[in-house]
Amino acid sequence: MTEWAQRLENPLSARLRDPATSGYAGIVLGVLAAFLGIPPVQARSVTWQVVVGVVAVVFGIWTVTRGRRRLGYGAAAAGLLGIGLGILATRSSVDNLNSVFNAALIAQTFAFATPLVFGAIAGIFSERSGVVNIGLEGMMLMGAFWGVYGADKGGNWSVGILVGAAVGGVMALVYAYFAIHLRSDQIVGGTAVNFLALGVTGYFFFQLYHGNYVPNGVSTIPNVRIPGVADSHFLGPAIGNLNLMIWAGFVAVVATWFLLFKTPIGLRIRACGEHPRAADTVGINVYAVRYGCVVLSGVLAAIGGVYLSDGFGGGTFTDNMTEGRGFIALAAMIFGNWRPAGAFGAALLFGFSSAVALRLQVYSPSASTLFNVLPYVLTLIAVAGVIGRTVAPAADGKPYRKQ
Amino acid sequence: MAAPVLELHGITKRFPGVLANDDVSFDLRPGEVHALLGENGAGKSTLMNILYGLYRPDAGEIRLRGAPIELGSTRAAIEHGIGMVHQHFMLIPVMTVAENVVLASEPRQAGVFLDYDAAVRRVRELSERYGLLVDPTALVRNISVGQQQRVEIVKALYRGADVLILDEPTAVLTPQEARELFEVVRSLKSRGTSIVFISHKLNEVLEVADRITVLRRGRVVGTIPAAGATEEGLARLMVGRDVLLRVDKLPARPQAPLLRVEGLRVEDDRGLEAVRGVSFEVRAGEIVAIAGVDANGQSELVEAIAGLRTPTAGRVEIDGVDTTRDSPRRKLDAGLGHIPEDRHLRGLVLPFSLAENLSLQEYRHRPVSRFGFLSLRRIAARAERLLREFDVRGGGADTPAGALSGGNQQKVVIAREVDARPKVLVAAQPTRGLDVGAIEFVHRRLVEQRDAGRAVLLVSLELEEVRSLADRILVIYEGRIAGEFGPDATETELGLAMTGGTSGAEAA
Repeated sequence: MTEWAQRLENPLSARLRDPATSGYAGIVLGVLAAFLGIPPVQARSVTWQVVVGVVAVVFGIWTVTRGRRRLGYGAAAAGLLGIGLGILATRSSVDNLNSVFNAALIAQTFAFATPLVFGAIAGIFSERSGVVNIGLEGMMLMGAFWGVYGADKGGNWSVGILVGAAVGGVMALVYAYFAIHLRSDQIVGGTAVNFLALGVTGYFFFQLYHGNYVPNGVSTIPNVRIPGVADSHFLGPAIGNLNLMIWAGFVAVVATWFLLFKTPIGLRIRACGEHPRAADTVGINVYAVRYGCVVLSGVLAAIGGVYLSDGFGGGTFTDNMTEGRGFIALAAMIFGNWRPAGAFGAALLFGFSSAVALRLQVYSPSASTLFNVLPYVLTLIAVAGVIGRTVAPAADGKPYRKQ
Repeated sequence: MAAPVLELHGITKRFPGVLANDDVSFDLRPGEVHALLGENGAGKSTLMNILYGLYRPDAGEIRLRGAPIELGSTRAAIEHGIGMVHQHFMLIPVMTVAENVVLASEPRQAGVFLDYDAAVRRVRELSERYGLLVDPTALVRNISVGQQQRVEIVKALYRGADVLILDEPTAVLTPQEARELFEVVRSLKSRGTSIVFISHKLNEVLEVADRITVLRRGRVVGTIPAAGATEEGLARLMVGRDVLLRVDKLPARPQAPLLRVEGLRVEDDRGLEAVRGVSFEVRAGEIVAIAGVDANGQSELVEAIAGLRTPTAGRVEIDGVDTTRDSPRRKLDAGLGHIPEDRHLRGLVLPFSLAENLSLQEYRHRPVSRFGFLSLRRIAARAERLLREFDVRGGGADTPAGALSGGNQQKVVIAREVDARPKVLVAAQPTRGLDVGAIEFVHRRLVEQRDAGRAVLLVSLELEEVRSLADRILVIYEGRIAGEFGPDATETELGLAMTGGTSGAEAA
């Protein structure tokens, strides 16, 4: 019988006795310990942070003794980290804390996360069909430049999205031809895409905008003001006035999950990524599925890029504007185990730590560069400590050759 | 006699350098099991891949119920009601049985969504109607190989197949699972499904088929009814000469023990104990076989003896010398020869030439090398001698090992191991994937080694092989020796011990 069937048979009591439960509880408590020190709770004595953190460590050790070592050590580390951060928060001034941890942090988290959400979803489509897409970065960059160009020349942000998406799709089509038809190495091909995008955008930025600025007044992607919510004390600054593309990103995550796991098309896509020959023998055109997925991947990555320049960036472009966000998106995808919800969660985590890092500059402007490594430190801890091994689609990155 | 449901006329298929099918004609009647018999490389799989739309024939015609059809793709074959169960299953391990079955012809809800519940229902229906027990909601990676094969059959039936091609279906099955498969084949037949049964195993073809077509080097050498056919007759048709199916050997005259294993405990890759206290000895001049269902600790036992895996407890002695923790090289020097179970992984370096492969052990001794330099001339001369002696065909000393057929590759491995004149020869599944002719060769060589006074340890999943070769049979079950039998033990007795029933006579 499958693991799932067993779990369903003896529901609650077994679930509580499962070492995984105590491990995850420890991690939650560790996060809680850190959370107690910051607004809105903002405990000013260290007692509660330490108590909760110690409980988290105990849970962690208990989990280790019951066999889930990686998870247990993760929980113990989360507990210690929670105590440390909680104590640190009590040493900080209330003013500073209030300026870092407020409702606008939520909005900023979403803003930083959205390019990663689109990028990660893009990666999921490509890799679930069996093509590694390390060229996400380049496709995103192309979207960023041509999106703002489209918005500028077309006079409307929606033209920008269309132009950016189309250019991303074309870029992906070229990559797909190399990766699928010519069966070239996908890492090398993807890297080529990234350098090509860097060169193309740099060249045209110079040619079209003299390499310095995009004129003011470009039509930018609007924010969505939710009546009623926008004026609320907490929800207003958090979600009352988010950019349209942030909401589109949420929709994309749900739609991707539906498409991949609830429709025949999704089943076929996943089949191509796991065992293309099996897909072929039941009459699925593996090449067509992979072409479709890679092009869709390019379109989505480019839309993430358009948001970066014409939404988040307010209608600007700079050389190498994506600054590695395509790669972070790829990490979010892996972190999320090639699943839309997991990748979304990972993208939010990265977005959150970027937003916090930016705000931590109130403590020390000179150390801001150091704070910027926070997302990557978090990635390392999470991947090594908690998640363990993620499993890629079995045929990911392997070109398919028909018999 | 009913009109044939399927006819192949004059099918010819050329590959660069090979004529895989030469004017092959074949017909299948409704509700018939028609076996396609032939050695590896005789063209069986090519013919069936043509029938399944994977290859296009260079010449010839395919007729379905009298009308000529064009099979350009697998999709076309499926639409014509032809289903195929491949030798290597075409299943996706991380998906459920139901998902695998309905892939590419999914039941839909509202035209867009996958109706998973309907898929589960359909699979359950089919599995009940044909007696193919499978759990539609189980993940494929969690079910046994026998169940996976049933999933493949359900998959074909779901697509409306009334012609079913089974490509070497028993190659991966245990004897019990094979028996269950034959039941399924009979039940399908009684419901009107026509079956092409591809095999190179004579006994099962005789058991399950109505008619048998024998292929040899791409040509049909005869189509005969199964009733009245004999294994000897079929083997002669298949190989083109008389084949010794029963191994001809004199009674063993065992001498002093050369291999002694005592209380051996070995862990597998996951750290679970796979061998749990095994003791036995093999004497000079006898063949001792370890029989058992796959994955009962055989691989770990052999690896521990060969020095590829360190045991957690126990002793391995070769000719009185304790070699328990020795490296493979020291084991070889102590007098061990090892024919590994996976000749591609462990037996050969596939991109290397035959000469190089044959020198993998001797390279550090005279005359192959002197003063640290290889003598390419002597390596080539030695290789040519061995290739001649062991009748390796399909290439010379310079041919890469990967270019040879399985049987000839195995001959190369055996040549290398036997030429080192070991005291103890461990042969792990030495005939896996080989055809009748090559099996006969391997068996003869093993008996020769026994008669030359070597201690031979044979590990095999094939009961027939064990019974015909061994002087003593040890049955391994869940890492323990479940019983010792003489060579005259019946298949039932052994089968019982292999599945943990009762033990046989007391271990010596």
